[in-house]
Amino acid sequence: MWGGLFWLAFGIFIAYQGYDLGLGEAREPGSGFAIFWIGLLMAAFATSIVFGAIKNGSEDIASLWQGTRWAKVLLIIALLLIFGFLFERIGFVICSLVLLLVLMRVVDPVPWPTALIVSFGATFGIWYAMNKLLLIQLPNGWLSPWLG
Amino acid sequence: MEIISALGHGFAVALQPINLMACFFGVFIGTLVGVLPGIGPVSAMALLLPVTLSSSPEAGIIMMAGIYYGSMYGGSTTSILVNIPGEAASVITCLDGHQMAKNGRAGPALGIAAMGSFVAGTFAIIALMLVAPMLASFAIAFGPPEYFSLMVLGLTVLAFLTQGSMAKSLLMACVGVTLGLVGIDQITAAPRLTFDRLELIDGVGLVPVVMGLFGIAEILANIEKSVNREVVASRIGSLWPTAQDWMHSKWAIVRGTILGFFLGVLPGGGAVISSFASYALERKLSKRPEMFGKGAIEGVAGPEAANNSAAGGAFIPLLTLGIPPNVVMALLLGAFIIHGIQPGPLLITQNPGIFWGIVASMYIGNIMLLILNMPLIGIWVQVLKVPYKLLFPLILMFCIVGVFSSGSAVFDVFVMTVFGLVGYLMRKFGYEPAPLVLAFVLGPMVENNMRKSLILSQGDFSIFVERPISLVCLLLAAAMLIMPLLPALRAKREAVALDQE
Repeated sequence: MWGGLFWLAFGIFIAYQGYDLGLGEAREPGSGFAIFWIGLLMAAFATSIVFGAIKNGSEDIASLWQGTRWAKVLLIIALLLIFGFLFERIGFVICSLVLLLVLMRVVDPVPWPTALIVSFGATFGIWYAMNKLLLIQLPNGWLSPWLG
Repeated sequence: MEIISALGHGFAVALQPINLMACFFGVFIGTLVGVLPGIGPVSAMALLLPVTLSSSPEAGIIMMAGIYYGSMYGGSTTSILVNIPGEAASVITCLDGHQMAKNGRAGPALGIAAMGSFVAGTFAIIALMLVAPMLASFAIAFGPPEYFSLMVLGLTVLAFLTQGSMAKSLLMACVGVTLGLVGIDQITAAPRLTFDRLELIDGVGLVPVVMGLFGIAEILANIEKSVNREVVASRIGSLWPTAQDWMHSKWAIVRGTILGFFLGVLPGGGAVISSFASYALERKLSKRPEMFGKGAIEGVAGPEAANNSAAGGAFIPLLTLGIPPNVVMALLLGAFIIHGIQPGPLLITQNPGIFWGIVASMYIGNIMLLILNMPLIGIWVQVLKVPYKLLFPLILMFCIVGVFSSGSAVFDVFVMTVFGLVGYLMRKFGYEPAPLVLAFVLGPMVENNMRKSLILSQGDFSIFVERPISLVCLLLAAAMLIMPLLPALRAKREAVALDQE
């Protein structure tokens, strides 16, 4: 039911955005014409989901995460966001080394030697393949003087 | 005669060293992602989409196509040996394939899967070669109303066939269309749903959305539960099935091939649905239905043939109409667009080298796959033994690098992360990502064709029902929408969904 309510609010928001953009008229539909109707359709489907959940009873949200390693999921999301914030400033090599080491030592631990070999191998392998072979520039950040 | 000379031209393109290498790389990566649980053809194609930028259109598209049909071969290996499907189309192969492996018959299971796939793949290419030019000449007469209705039908069929609630699938299709409309309006040039963010002016990128919803979400879903993979690889033995195995399998392969091809061609259909349909058909027709689930070889042969045939059939709507029938083809459409080529009725006449080059490369790719999956099966067994705790950090890293290199923008990494979380939550709450992604790609085309139709008809909505093809498509779409409301049909659809689960 909570999912349905979220999408209901989202659908109404989108319909309003479409209305705001301008509906135009049937012979010359405006920029918001399709968005408005899609928003209303979304709200309609979401309403049917909410009613369905009320009629049939919906699952307790907490039960969806019972017995799972949900903290690790949150940790990965947090790591990806931090990676995004630091990626261009610090550079690909340092960021990916740290990310891989954290993933292999904290999220699902493997022995240190394996973690180090895989982290260094993958980081420098990807950097070389992208920057030198495919000529796709990854940010060098702090290591710019050495990596060129 | 004309087809043979065109095919000859295609082979001349496909046999150029760079295209041959692209084909091998594509089918190799396809087999690899098929074998590895946790990364499928969608993620792999999204990841490699930026790489195609630095190659010729022929090489890029041949490689992308190879990943798709290659993954259909590889998926069965994991299903048979580990009981975890390498990709969604091989889910059903787990049932009998893994039972055969546990009974010490992993070899014949792998063998029949590879040979059934080869037969079906070859049939699909021949059919593609014969059907596509005919359909393309027919589709030249299509106007905006026909395209609009055909795409609406495609989205409705996908929502209908997706497991679980149809309301949720349709809702996801609406969300996908909305996402597709973010950015500059193609007709009025007004920015839409950009919320004054410069990064959104060109719209939301396909690669970060797909990588998030499929790649990252899959990793998050796998990480939250610790799964032990046990590889049944000690007694693979001879890969060649016995005479009795062939007796049981030959008609299953034929039926799976034909069924898979037609389901693959249908908009919204695809390899996953065809493999389930084939399994259900074989169980119904079998003289020994009690063996299904206990190691019936026809339960491996039929679905594996069906998913490969469907993978070939799925190229037809994309190459002849320019409409991708499923998510994978939507990514292939992305590869075409990157190179400034518009697939559709004029592709065969305007870019014969690309069309016939793809067809010829599929013949070559199928032979490469047979070699990769029969004599070299041992390599894939070794790959399967790599623990997931080592694989997932690398997959995550490839996702980040792939997404960043697609647009050289760190914003895309954030988009991928957000969609990764959204995709994970969608799985939890029973929402399917496939209708969202297909609608995301089709959304701008649907809107564009609808607006063009209305401008053509001076605002008269009857233009959509006055044209016969458009009318038929809309009637079929309406039938799909009404069906779940009828109790008897709803029960049938729910049974199919449960079967898929």
